[in-house]
Amino acid sequence: MFKEGLGETSSFAGCHPAVNLIFFLFAIGITMFSTSPAFLAVTLVFSWLYSILLNGRKAIKTNIVFTLPIIVIMAGINTLFTHNGATVLFYLNNSRITLEALLYGLAAAVLLSSVIVWFGCFNVVITADKLIYIFGKAAPVLGLTLSMIFRFIPLLKTRFKEISMGQRCMGRHVSGGFIERIRQYTKEVSILISWSLEAAIETSDSMEARGYGLPGRTSFHLFKFTPTDKALLTGISVSGIIAAVGCALGKTSIYYYPKVVFGHWDVFTTVTFAAYAVLLAIPIVTDIFGEIKWQQYRLEI
Amino acid sequence: MATIQVRNLSFTYPLADDPALKNVTFTVSQSEFVVLCGKSGCGKSTLLRHLKKNLTPYGRADGNVLYDGQEVAGLDDRINAAEIGFVQQNPDNQIVTDKVWHELAFGLESLGMDNKTIKRRVAEMASFFDIQTWFRKNVSELSGGQKQLLNLASVMVMQPKVLILDEPTSQLDPIAASEFLKTIYRINRELGTTVIISEHRLEELFTMADKVMVMDKGSLIAFDEPWNIGNFLAGDSPEKRHPMFYGMPAVMKIYSHCRAEGVPRYIREGREMSPLTIRDGRLWMESFLGDDYEEGCRHKSETEQEPQREEIIRIKDLWFKYSKDSGNVLRGLNLSVRKGELFCLLGGNGVGKSTTLKAVSGAVIPQHGSITVDGMKVKKENFKELFNNRLAMLPQNPQALFTEITVEEELLEALYFEKISDEEKIDKIEKILKMMEITHLRKSHPYDLSGGEQQRLALGKILLLDPKILLLDEPTKGLDPFFKITLAEILKKLTSSGVTIFMVSHDVEFCAEYADRCAMFFDGDVVSEGAPKEFFAGNSFYTTSANRIVRKWFPDGLTWEEVAEWAERASAK
Repeated sequence: MFKEGLGETSSFAGCHPAVNLIFFLFAIGITMFSTSPAFLAVTLVFSWLYSILLNGRKAIKTNIVFTLPIIVIMAGINTLFTHNGATVLFYLNNSRITLEALLYGLAAAVLLSSVIVWFGCFNVVITADKLIYIFGKAAPVLGLTLSMIFRFIPLLKTRFKEISMGQRCMGRHVSGGFIERIRQYTKEVSILISWSLEAAIETSDSMEARGYGLPGRTSFHLFKFTPTDKALLTGISVSGIIAAVGCALGKTSIYYYPKVVFGHWDVFTTVTFAAYAVLLAIPIVTDIFGEIKWQQYRLEI
Repeated sequence: MATIQVRNLSFTYPLADDPALKNVTFTVSQSEFVVLCGKSGCGKSTLLRHLKKNLTPYGRADGNVLYDGQEVAGLDDRINAAEIGFVQQNPDNQIVTDKVWHELAFGLESLGMDNKTIKRRVAEMASFFDIQTWFRKNVSELSGGQKQLLNLASVMVMQPKVLILDEPTSQLDPIAASEFLKTIYRINRELGTTVIISEHRLEELFTMADKVMVMDKGSLIAFDEPWNIGNFLAGDSPEKRHPMFYGMPAVMKIYSHCRAEGVPRYIREGREMSPLTIRDGRLWMESFLGDDYEEGCRHKSETEQEPQREEIIRIKDLWFKYSKDSGNVLRGLNLSVRKGELFCLLGGNGVGKSTTLKAVSGAVIPQHGSITVDGMKVKKENFKELFNNRLAMLPQNPQALFTEITVEEELLEALYFEKISDEEKIDKIEKILKMMEITHLRKSHPYDLSGGEQQRLALGKILLLDPKILLLDEPTKGLDPFFKITLAEILKKLTSSGVTIFMVSHDVEFCAEYADRCAMFFDGDVVSEGAPKEFFAGNSFYTTSANRIVRKWFPDGLTWEEVAEWAERASAK
């Protein structure tokens, strides 16, 4: 079940786009303003869990490939170039290398890598359709433009293939040096552009013929807002707002310079922490729950 | 009740000397099915575009175009968008959005309907057109036929009262085209929508149409019921035939020819009617031949043994699949093409015809087997030599070749890498312009040419490379019957000068008339091959319509001329 990952078929990805969008806004937004190790640990762990749940085993490899260099580079650069901090580890060419700088570098690197992993999940859950819907809600023209872009990318690809083949069959592009090749590519791209512009005239005719440009355009979609969506949205909103308030009050951050100071861990920090953990766990729990239900259904048959 | 009325409409494009439309007057009543036919460039599109407000071309217009008694130019935008539907030629260019469902909803979104209403209307249309199974697909995954059906459905979803179609099937293969036309017929019969359609593929449309309009050089020369059109165009003798006559369905051509030569007429329900279908054609022949008619001899001996010409393309035991998991497209294909012949590979959709062509041109590398072209193996190391005056291929879309701003320069571009003097280049170009009959267009922009002219320009460009072997992928797609005759003449000229042509086609009529050898492709291999006469005489369905009418008596008759002459002789006995 987890070998291939759930991908777009996961229960949470099947929810209404608003649910998905609000979740990611909270999750990524709060992560970006947190520097406390406890909060960073939570977001790192949950982002990885969710990423593996969605993308399967191959997610581990991609995540490591993407985040390890970031951690090494950011921690390294910050330690080498920031000389703030009270605890000196050693001197390098007369510069202070401090523990605080190293820790801050690590924290920032973990933050950034978690955000990247969260965006990886965002990419799977928020499909082109949902993106179009979300933008279409903001302004119908924006949604339509996106939809047209998604239409044109494969179209241009097929056209370019045909052009390349036509040129090849004229004996072009078969050999030649670097300059020759650049020249040939330029020619093929120029054919593609004039062909596409010419074709766009017909597209605009077809749009106008179907009333494009009349005032009061609406934006159609196939999404349904179900009771499950409502429940999830409530859960996400409540936990998200609590965590966001905590974040705004500085409960998710600590000071690194000149000395690392853990703020006082009070009741409200606990509440913020719990709310944040619940928020990040919602999609994972939803997906696992959905998967178990599906397995049971299969067994019953 | 008249839906569309056109009164004394004349139209001239800016900077043009001659008017594109001359004094056109006609009336189309509600729920009528009207077919508009005529040569390419006779003003069909110009006329149809006048019936829709925002598509009306710029230029000087006189006369009136009325929709429901109101001037089209003054129609309310919402009525214009919703009540008059327009479908154009190219399936790809008309699609706006990325998903099928979104495309269907596009027009309704423009009209500002709410989600619930749109959903209901879209659901209705998707069921009517049987789109449900691909409703959530990306439009890029659809076949050409599906794309055009989607274009039609996304117009129909606005519930138009009039549907105008400008050569909608010209880019489709025959099966998809026939499917599409049947859907149009259904729309007309079941929903009562008025249909005005311009087409070259008349075989089927004549049986569906209430009326046929014939245009010639901007004038409307005939507007009548289908069975009268053939006889009108045939005139009294072969010399007086109108050029449009050659675009008529084969049955009508045979009948009109025979009628003029005194063969008994076809009487149905007490009055004379020109046969429109294969069935009508058979019944008519039955009526004057009688049941016991038998053709004395089959012209078996007539197919004289030609000296075996040398093989120029040799395909041996070719196996190919696109990816590891997909099925084989080519399964042990063996094929040879001989020097200087026009070889046609026929077959349905997706049987591997185009793949074969790609393999010959080296665009795909087969997993097993070998291809030898002019004594040289098709493989990567040989590409440079292969394409040097040996092999050339014409892509399906001629636009894929155009880079320059005039026809002349376009041709010159082909000679860019040739090491010959400028005078020689100009000389070569002049020859090609003449051969392709596009000299008068030399200063035009390639994109301003019609489909047929673009095809000839692209062919000319390829021929400047002086290939010994020419590969053609569906060269007759989108051409009107007259361009087809011109194309055939050009191809014949080429083969007689020693060029070998290997062509892949759906066009049975064209191949039957002009090919030297035909082969039937099915399931990755050639199943039968031979000269057109023996090849088509052996098929029962996959043959020309003229042959289907008379195959019971005269299996060798392929073209309508042969059949018409035979019918004349047979009736005299």
